Amino acid sequence: MVFSKLDAAIYPFINLASQIVKELEENLGINVILSPGSEVLKRSIERIKEAIYSRVTSVYRADLDVEILSHPVAMLLLKSIKDTRLLHIYAEAEKNRVFLNLLSEDYEKLLALAIDGFNWHVIRENYTFFIRFDDYLKASINIIDSHWKLVNRKLVNGYVELSRRDFSRLMAEAYKTRVLEKASQEEVIQIPEHIKGIVEELNKEVQGVLPKVDVRITHISGEFNPLAFPPCILRLLEDADKGKNLPHMARFTLATFLISIGKRPEELLDIFRKMPDYDERKTLYHLRHVAGEIGSRTKYIPPSCATLRTFNLCSPDDDLCSKVKHPLIYYSKKLRTIKRG
Amino acid sequence: MRERLDNEKSGNESFVKRVFKEYYSKWYGEPPKNYNMREYAFIISRKGDMIRHKAFESWDEVREFLRKNVPLHGFYSSAYYLQPSAPDMDAKGWIGADLIFDIDVDHIHTPCKDVHDKWVCLDCGVVDKGMPPEVCHRCSSKRIEAKTWFCEKCLDVAREETIKLVEDYLIQDFGFSPKEVSIVFSGRRGFHVHVESDIVKGLDQRARREIVDYVKGVGLTLTSKKRKVLLPPLNAGGWHGRIAKGVYELLNSCQVDDLIRLLGLKRGPQIEENVREIIKRLEEGKRCSTLSGMASKIWLKAVEKAIAYKRCEVDERVTTDIKRLIRLPGTLHGGTGLIVMRIGLKDVETFDPYTHAVAFKRDYVKVRVLNMPKITFLGQEWGPYDNEVVEVPLGLAVYLICSDNAIVIDEVL
Repeated sequence: MVFSKLDAAIYPFINLASQIVKELEENLGINVILSPGSEVLKRSIERIKEAIYSRVTSVYRADLDVEILSHPVAMLLLKSIKDTRLLHIYAEAEKNRVFLNLLSEDYEKLLALAIDGFNWHVIRENYTFFIRFDDYLKASINIIDSHWKLVNRKLVNGYVELSRRDFSRLMAEAYKTRVLEKASQEEVIQIPEHIKGIVEELNKEVQGVLPKVDVRITHISGEFNPLAFPPCILRLLEDADKGKNLPHMARFTLATFLISIGKRPEELLDIFRKMPDYDERKTLYHLRHVAGEIGSRTKYIPPSCATLRTFNLCSPDDDLCSKVKHPLIYYSKKLRTIKRG
Repeated sequence: MRERLDNEKSGNESFVKRVFKEYYSKWYGEPPKNYNMREYAFIISRKGDMIRHKAFESWDEVREFLRKNVPLHGFYSSAYYLQPSAPDMDAKGWIGADLIFDIDVDHIHTPCKDVHDKWVCLDCGVVDKGMPPEVCHRCSSKRIEAKTWFCEKCLDVAREETIKLVEDYLIQDFGFSPKEVSIVFSGRRGFHVHVESDIVKGLDQRARREIVDYVKGVGLTLTSKKRKVLLPPLNAGGWHGRIAKGVYELLNSCQVDDLIRLLGLKRGPQIEENVREIIKRLEEGKRCSTLSGMASKIWLKAVEKAIAYKRCEVDERVTTDIKRLIRLPGTLHGGTGLIVMRIGLKDVETFDPYTHAVAFKRDYVKVRVLNMPKITFLGQEWGPYDNEVVEVPLGLAVYLICSDNAIVIDEVL
C-alpha cells in the first residue's frame, strides 16, 4: 500500500513520516525550521498545549509539511523541559489522536500501517486480525485492564485474535511506547538560544496547569493511614497477625510497602513477631536491608500488582484495583479520596 | 559414631569423584545453541562454592574442563551474552535468553509423598512423612532436611505436566515448532523445557511473566466488564475454550451426586436442571452467553476445577528469570548421579529415569544402604532396605551414595 502525505501527518510512526522529516530537514535546514516565529515551532507548541488542555492532539491539515515536522520538534521541546509527567501527557494525547484516526481506517489500511510502522507479524481474516504473541506482549504490556492480559485472549498457533477496535488500540499503544522510548534516548541536543526562552515559558505554563499532587512513589512517605491500604496488604497484615507462616514474597511485599510509606524497620518488628520462625535479629537485618540502610543500599519498593498476581498474593480486588498497577499507587489514590471526604 | 560416619562419607565423595571421572572421560555432550555466548557454572565438591562466570570458545574446551575438574553439578545460562565471562552481571551484555520452564515434583503435591517422602528437623529432631514444610511445625526452624524419592506416580505427574505444557501450550497455543522445544530430564524429580526461538529471545521479564501466567491460568477473568458471569463457546480457543471444554467434560462425565460432592455444592432440586442448562448453553456455542443465579454458581465452581485440571504446574521463578542458570544437558546430577538428559517429545511417555538416565549400567558394588523404599532400578526391583549391606548395580549405588542414602563398602571397579 502506498501511503499519502496526509497519512504521514496523522501517523508519525510510518516510514514515510520519518522520510519526509529527513527530506525537509535537509532542504530547509534545522535553523530555518527552528527560527523564531516559524510555523513549525508555533505548531509544535500548540501540539503540546493541545495535549495538556484536551488530552488529544489534532491534525493540522492546512500545511502537512508543518504538521509532519511539528512532532519531532515537539519532542525536542519536551526533551528540553525534562518533565516526565508532561512527556506522558503528550505521549497519551498522541496515542489518543492515533487511536481516533485508526478507528475510521479500513482493514487493509490498518494492516499496512501496522506492518510498515511496527514490523508486526499480522494476518487478517475477514473481520479479524491475528497478531503474533511476541508483538502482542510488547505492545500490550503497559495496558492495565485485565481484558488485555494474554491469559484472557484467544491465542492459537502463536497468534492472538483481535477485533478491529482492539487492533487499533494496540497500535496506538505501540506508538505511545515509541514516543516514550524516543524521549528517553540520550542524545546531545543543541538548541538555539531563543528556544530556551520558549521552553522556559512553556514550562512555567505547564507547572501552573498540571495537578500539584505528585503521585510518584517516592513522594508518598510520611503519611500512614491503614484505611487506604490496598486489599492485598490488608490481607497480608491479617495473615501475619494470625501468625500464619507467610512465604518470602509476602513478607517482602509487606515490608517494602510499609517502609515505602514511611515506617522504620524497627517499627515493623511487631508485625512479624507472630511468625512461627521469628528471629528478631534476622528480621531486623532483612528489614534494614530492604530499607536500603545496609547491604547494597538499594531501597526496595513493593512488587507490582502483576507480580503479586503471579505469586498469588493479589486479593479479591475492589474497583480502584482495576485502575492501578501498583499497590503504592493504590495507596496514594485512596489517600486522596479519603482526604476529599 | 558421628566421626565414623563422616569418614565413611568422605570415602563416598572420593568414590563419586572416581565414577564421575570415568563418565566424563568419554563425554561428548551436545552443545546448546550459541554455546560460546553462554555463561557456565560448576560445583566441584560438596563443600565447595559454585564456580561462576566461565565461558568457552570451543566445545572441546567444555569437554576438557569437565574431564579435568569432574564437577558434581554443571550449569549454563539461559541467556546469551556479549561477554559471558564478565564477573559483573551488568558488564556481560545481555543479548537475549531462551524461554525455560521447570516442572519439579518438589513443588507439586502428590499423594504418594506421604508414603515415600520424609523430613527431619535438624534443630529439634522431629521426623515426619510427606512434603517437607517450609518451617518445622514444632520448633519453627527452617533447617529441614528432606529425604525424597521419585516414584512411578511422581514420574507420571511430572510426565503428564510436561506433555501438557509442550503439546497444549507451547505447540498448540504459542505455535512453537517441535524443533524449537527441547525436553530435558532434570536429573532428579522433574523436567526442564527449553524453548530456543528468536521469537522469545528478546522478551523481557514482564512479557515472560505473561507467558507463565498463561500456562498457569493466573489472572483469568470469568466475568464481563459489567461483572456478568460469562459462558464462552466450546470452540472459543485459548483459555476460554479450554475452560468451556473442561467444564463440559466434567459435567458430562459425572453423576449429579458426584458433582455435588466434587464441587462442594448444597444439595437442591434445581441442581440437575441447572447442570442441563449449562450443558445445553455450551452446546449452543453462542459468543456472549451470560449466566446468573444457581447456574452461575455451579458454573464458577466447575470452572475452578477445570482450571486446576488444565493449568500447568511450572515454577514461575525460573521462567521469569532472564539470567537463569540451568543444568547443562549431558552432565551428571550430583545429588543422584543420573544424567541430565534430553528426551524427544514422543519418548517422554515411556521415559524411565532409573533406566534411561542411568550413567553406570555395568558392574555391581557392595554398599551399606541406610534407608531406601522399594524401587525399580534398571528394570529390576530393589529394596526396601534399612541399614543393610547389599550388592547393587553400580548405577543404583551411585544414586544412593549421591543422595546420602548409602555408604560405600567395597568397590568392584
